[in-house]
Amino acid sequence: MVFLSYAWSELRRRRGRTFLTAIGLGVGVGLVVAVNALSAGLDEAQDQVLEPLTGVGTDMTVTRPLTRSEGGGFGGQNLSPKEREQLRDEAGPGRLDLAGAGKPGETFTRTNFVSAAQLSFDADEVGRLAALDGVADAAGSLTLNALTVSGTVPEGGFQPPQPGSPQAAPGPGAQRQSIDLDAMSVTGVDASKASLAPVTPSQISDGRYLSEGSAREAVVNVAYARQHSIAVGDSVKLGSKAFEVVGLAQAPLGGTASDVYVELGRLQAISGRKGRVNQVQVRATDADAVPAVAKAIEGTLENASVTTAADLAQRIGGSLVDAKKLSAKLGTALTIVALVAAFLIAALLTLSSVTKRVRELGTLKALGWPQRLVVRQVTGESVAQGLLGGLLGAAIGVGAAALVGAMGITLEASVAAADGPRNQGAGPGGGPVIMGGPFGQGQVTSGSTDVVLGAPVDLTLLLIAIGLAVLGGLLAGGAGGLRAARLRPADALRSIG
Amino acid sequence: MSALYELHGVVKRYGSGDAQVTAVGGADLIVGAGEFLALVGPSGSGKTTLLQLLGAMDRPSAGRLAFEGRELGGLGDGELSRLRREAIGFVFQQFNLIPTLTAEQNVAIALAPVRMKAAARRERARELLGRVRLEHRLGNLPSQLSGGEQQRVAIARALANRPRVLLADEPTGNLDTATGEEIVALLRALSAGEGLTVVLVTHDRAVAGAADRVVEVRDGLLLEAVGA
Repeated sequence: MVFLSYAWSELRRRRGRTFLTAIGLGVGVGLVVAVNALSAGLDEAQDQVLEPLTGVGTDMTVTRPLTRSEGGGFGGQNLSPKEREQLRDEAGPGRLDLAGAGKPGETFTRTNFVSAAQLSFDADEVGRLAALDGVADAAGSLTLNALTVSGTVPEGGFQPPQPGSPQAAPGPGAQRQSIDLDAMSVTGVDASKASLAPVTPSQISDGRYLSEGSAREAVVNVAYARQHSIAVGDSVKLGSKAFEVVGLAQAPLGGTASDVYVELGRLQAISGRKGRVNQVQVRATDADAVPAVAKAIEGTLENASVTTAADLAQRIGGSLVDAKKLSAKLGTALTIVALVAAFLIAALLTLSSVTKRVRELGTLKALGWPQRLVVRQVTGESVAQGLLGGLLGAAIGVGAAALVGAMGITLEASVAAADGPRNQGAGPGGGPVIMGGPFGQGQVTSGSTDVVLGAPVDLTLLLIAIGLAVLGGLLAGGAGGLRAARLRPADALRSIG
Repeated sequence: MSALYELHGVVKRYGSGDAQVTAVGGADLIVGAGEFLALVGPSGSGKTTLLQLLGAMDRPSAGRLAFEGRELGGLGDGELSRLRREAIGFVFQQFNLIPTLTAEQNVAIALAPVRMKAAARRERARELLGRVRLEHRLGNLPSQLSGGEQQRVAIARALANRPRVLLADEPTGNLDTATGEEIVALLRALSAGEGLTVVLVTHDRAVAGAADRVVEVRDGLLLEAVGA
């Protein structure tokens, strides 16, 4: 009790110095709270951008991308003859063979489902990937480009397609104006694993999601629907089949986007790719397992390319990323400088206080106070100042964080297209533009979005901040206390004689 | 009367080389238990340094200084601290009370290193303040007390640990004559009534007159010892 009442009375007696020390520590600690809150806010903003496409950081996308050789063929991969054959069937010359479209002067409409950028594979591979260690679940999907060619057969007819050319060329004298080409990307999704699908129920902005085992239902991308004046309840045609539009979906920034989504089995059937998929969404059991799972997948599925949340995060750019880099570099430096400055201020003021109290502390030593009691007294007072500084710092930090939240600062997050040939430019109205390979495979929604910057402060951060201030007080008090303890009472009291 | 202090050729020097100053230059003195001794001398004569040596606040540079037969020069800081706490009481010219603590707390603070309950500590402080007739001033801060009252609080504080010797450095130096006489009377009463050894430093020969024995200090030397 004597210790406490003495410490309290001393802090009150030196109000100005106590307040100055507390302010010094408080500003340092407040800066720590504010910088960390900002950093947490930036993390949240980035998560907000990534969340729709990365779930909780455990999702991966598996594809088998193909590179095109200089001659226009597909090369580079160690593909088996069977796979090469499959690829030729899916994407090789002849898939748009209009040679048999009809006699000159006749009208025709022909839809072909093509793929080129990614090789499809047996849907059984999905089960193999799902069985890997660290994999929670996996779902296959099939993304194709539905190319609908319509028009009148020209006088000279159509020439057969040449090797390296994706489509048939009109014959001599043919009029290009007589042929319309409509391209639409379509993805078949496993509706029984909606949360893993390229389009998820959370992305539905109007209507509903595909029902499991649905007949001919489709979900249409909002941008595509706007462009073609499609609404829920309308129908879209895939080949000769009409699908009822049951919902509209907003493609997430950086996510894989198609114009139309239908049930996987339906697309496999109408595109002639029964039992084939060309993309697998894999969910790991936890974020830490992702690197190992990605490696295992690449070892299991030949020529597999695994895109993880980290890969996607690297493609996020804009002021959000700039701010995050700034926070990581300048924020950390600022925090260290502020803390060191605060600790130094506290230590110097405490040492100065000890100097001013030489006679008082000398008297206590003359009365027989042992060194440890003198150290405890000085340190205790300093720790109390630290606690006060910590509370002050917490208040400053919370205030600064609240100010950031109230200012409603917006940061831009942009997503760059993935490697490979891409269409560049903004979409209609500045919205996202669909970037993809030459045939719409592996489409990625590129563009930018704004996120509001917050600065969340959690209790742990506040406790750590207060702890830092108390530590500062302890260090300062320790230095001051040891100096006081080393005083010889005769020296301290010499001015009396 | 057994010897409480024995000093033989005690020297205290400060500094080194050309800047070295000899504050006490070979003091020989024996202080008996229960004795009331006055050290008199002008300012700078070395009497305060001698008192600090007696009070175990410093170690002699040379010579032998024994308290109750224990050589103080060989004791460590911790042992000297314990000796001050358990056997020696100190009264200062400027009282040296802690300005933010009440009279009661100023006395109790001397008992802080002693393992005892807060209530017992408070009770002891009140008892001591009662002995110096300040029972009505327990809750007053030093700034609310007169000089004489402050010095009485300082004496109560010096007595808190039941010392065997009370060392007083110019205890009347900041007091008017009448108040100074009260303080000297109080010290005299403590010596006579309780057998407490008192060593008092003063430059005032009238104050020294109250002592059993007066030793004059000049230029760090004990020039003469005169019976009171």
